[in-house]
Amino acid sequence: MEELIVELKEKIIDALDLIDITPDDFKEDDRLVGGTIGIDSIDILELAMMIDREYGVKIDNKELGQKVFATLITLAEHIIKNRKG
Amino acid sequence: MNSVGVYITGMGIASSLGIGIPAHHDALKKNSSGIKPLSLFPASPGNNFPTGEIPGLGEAVDLPRTHTLAITAAREALAGRDIIPDAIIIGTTTGGMPRTEVLLKNGEKDSGPYRYHSTSSVAEYCADVFRCEGLVITVTTACSSGTAAIILAFELLRSGRARRVLAGGADALCRLTYYGFNSLQLIDPAGSRPLDRSRRGMTVAEGSAMLLLEAAESRPVGAIAEILGGGLSCDAYHPAAPHPQGDGALAAMKSAIGNAGISASDIEYINLHGTGTLDNDLAEARAVRALFGDAIPPLSSVKGATGHSLAAAGAIEAVISSIVIGEGLIPANTGCVEPDPELKLKPVLQPLHKKISTVLSNSFGFGGNNACLVLSKPGAARERPALQHSFRFEVLGSTCITGAGDMDTTLRNLQVGKSCRGALPLADISKKLPAREVRRLKRLPRIVLSMAMEARELAGAGITISSIFFGTGLGPLSETGDFLSKLFESNEQFVSPTDFVGSVHNAPAGQAAIWLKATGANITATGGDYSFEQALYAASLTAAYGEVLLLMGADEHHDTLSPLFDGSVRASREHSDGGGALCLRAAESPAGIGMAPLFFGNARVNSSAVDSLVQSLGGPERINASYAALFAGIPAGERSAGDKQLHEFLNISAFTGPVIDYRSFIGEFPSASAAAAAIAARLAREGAIPEALAGGTECSLGGKGILLLGLGSFITAIEITAGPL
Repeated sequence: MEELIVELKEKIIDALDLIDITPDDFKEDDRLVGGTIGIDSIDILELAMMIDREYGVKIDNKELGQKVFATLITLAEHIIKNRKG
Repeated sequence: MNSVGVYITGMGIASSLGIGIPAHHDALKKNSSGIKPLSLFPASPGNNFPTGEIPGLGEAVDLPRTHTLAITAAREALAGRDIIPDAIIIGTTTGGMPRTEVLLKNGEKDSGPYRYHSTSSVAEYCADVFRCEGLVITVTTACSSGTAAIILAFELLRSGRARRVLAGGADALCRLTYYGFNSLQLIDPAGSRPLDRSRRGMTVAEGSAMLLLEAAESRPVGAIAEILGGGLSCDAYHPAAPHPQGDGALAAMKSAIGNAGISASDIEYINLHGTGTLDNDLAEARAVRALFGDAIPPLSSVKGATGHSLAAAGAIEAVISSIVIGEGLIPANTGCVEPDPELKLKPVLQPLHKKISTVLSNSFGFGGNNACLVLSKPGAARERPALQHSFRFEVLGSTCITGAGDMDTTLRNLQVGKSCRGALPLADISKKLPAREVRRLKRLPRIVLSMAMEARELAGAGITISSIFFGTGLGPLSETGDFLSKLFESNEQFVSPTDFVGSVHNAPAGQAAIWLKATGANITATGGDYSFEQALYAASLTAAYGEVLLLMGADEHHDTLSPLFDGSVRASREHSDGGGALCLRAAESPAGIGMAPLFFGNARVNSSAVDSLVQSLGGPERINASYAALFAGIPAGERSAGDKQLHEFLNISAFTGPVIDYRSFIGEFPSASAAAAAIAARLAREGAIPEALAGGTECSLGGKGILLLGLGSFITAIEITAGPL
């Protein structure tokens, strides 16, 4: 899981063009949306598309998205539980 | 008081319920739905959900589906009438995209097949078919476009500047909107169920509706309904989500009712925007409750029957509202089985026969662009409010972005005869913008925001900009190109929701509204090379006396798309972009530099358009007495026709001042005229045209103004005046 979290930090920075953020700025149990990183609802949709493309895991509605994108840990747990292969 | 009423005397419609008014009568009576599985193009695996397609639409080989839809509805609206509209105002967001996206997917490199790409080509095509010689405006305010177009037409008629206007909206289904809305998780896989407690979203649809609107002192024969008023507002809150409390929706409804000269208690039916998304329906319900309190009239959304046809929706619902008034038939809120208790609304669940005199129709869109319309039974005795808007403006400040840089750099170049053509590096455009806040924004919104912030500064401290009018020929090309590239690279599996939200033509103006907290009207006009001029006309039709507004025009260069979509870029083989922004105060007698739109004519159908121009400017004597210099905009793609028109103008008007061919130093992009207007306003303030521009000797304006002409397919005139008239 730790490996996945490291990977996710980089993929999130890349997907959202977070130019002034480094992986160290992410705290794993900080809330992702509205936290210090500055991620909002459109970013979450962008991340949902990225997670589907990279891991084959669909997060296709708002209710699920709110749960899964709560923190980096909840996101990583969801990917591990649902990814194929 | 105003004695002129605006009447609907012809209507045409095409939606998933069918083609033509009778088909809609029938469908509304039976409470049937047109929402069905997609068949227009194959959906990628796992992405198949219902849409609102138009059944049995015969398509022309060389015409995009949006154009076919528009002309189908327009022919019905004008059926059996030997009428040439004075003006055509059409809302569309997709334009030629249904064809363009297929061409791009197939790697088509020849520009010929893209000739109907531009959103402007829909209204222009109708203008050519119906021989309309006057004003043509394309409104692109996302899902409120159709209603906004009708409001502009209403104001044009009420002002006495036209007697008959064809107005409406059209949008055809395409991959861009189908996959785009899906990427925002706004699609209900079971089909739209507005206001239902288990609703999950909207249904993307297509459609078209056109109204023939006529100004008359008394009810004309065949009048179906009268338009009483319209209201525009902007949430200035979020690019794609409504203000949660419905503040913008409430402001637009209030404005429409006030504009109509009635009160909320006069409304007997509300046609809701009601898309079926969780957020829209909740925000709209809150706004309706805030306005009507305990006395909410019967209401319903028809989008569970038609789907959401985007720019066409407002026009379709204006037609349906007219059917409500004419037939006493309230349509059901199709698809809603159990109303969501959180909304605290009681939608009409079955078609209801009831005499209705006055209807409020709501349309809201991306960019927080809201438009509401009030329609009523024609012929009732009523007092109509006096006109509140001004056709003239005082220029409080102006700025531009050219290949050289900002206004000061541009002027320095012009003073020494250096070109300002080119495309400024993105880093230079963005240098005053906070990096984190613009990280999602690509080239066009950055050009717009950069100019908007500077124009506000120039206008002076303590001035609040309330509304924004924006012209763009081709819109956000980077976002559009990136969205389609990702779509096709992934076999239509993955797209960027950020790019979709950004690809909407009105996104830059919506973004500027958020930054400036501009909650008044927010109109984006997309009229090709005449977009900026159309935006100015829109401002002159809606800005109230004393109101301060921002008028902008901008386009971006895109290496792949610009040459395919813009014949002038191809003709010049150069890359230029940028635009202009002017901070204006609506004032009949400007205290300082003034600005006004004077002429808009269709040279493609009127061979004596230059004559008409000279006449409307007051003839040769007045032209020479009023203007010291002429700025001429001749798109490179129309150089020979434009040169001929200019020659003819100079001949007829015997104009003796310097003629400045501004595209030669600003470059070729559709809204080059916005940069030219901003420069002209600055030079008018300085009182002289530098010698390098004026042809060798400095031209003192001597209290006279500058005339800006747009030439080519259309002929336009804007005046910049030097002082009090």
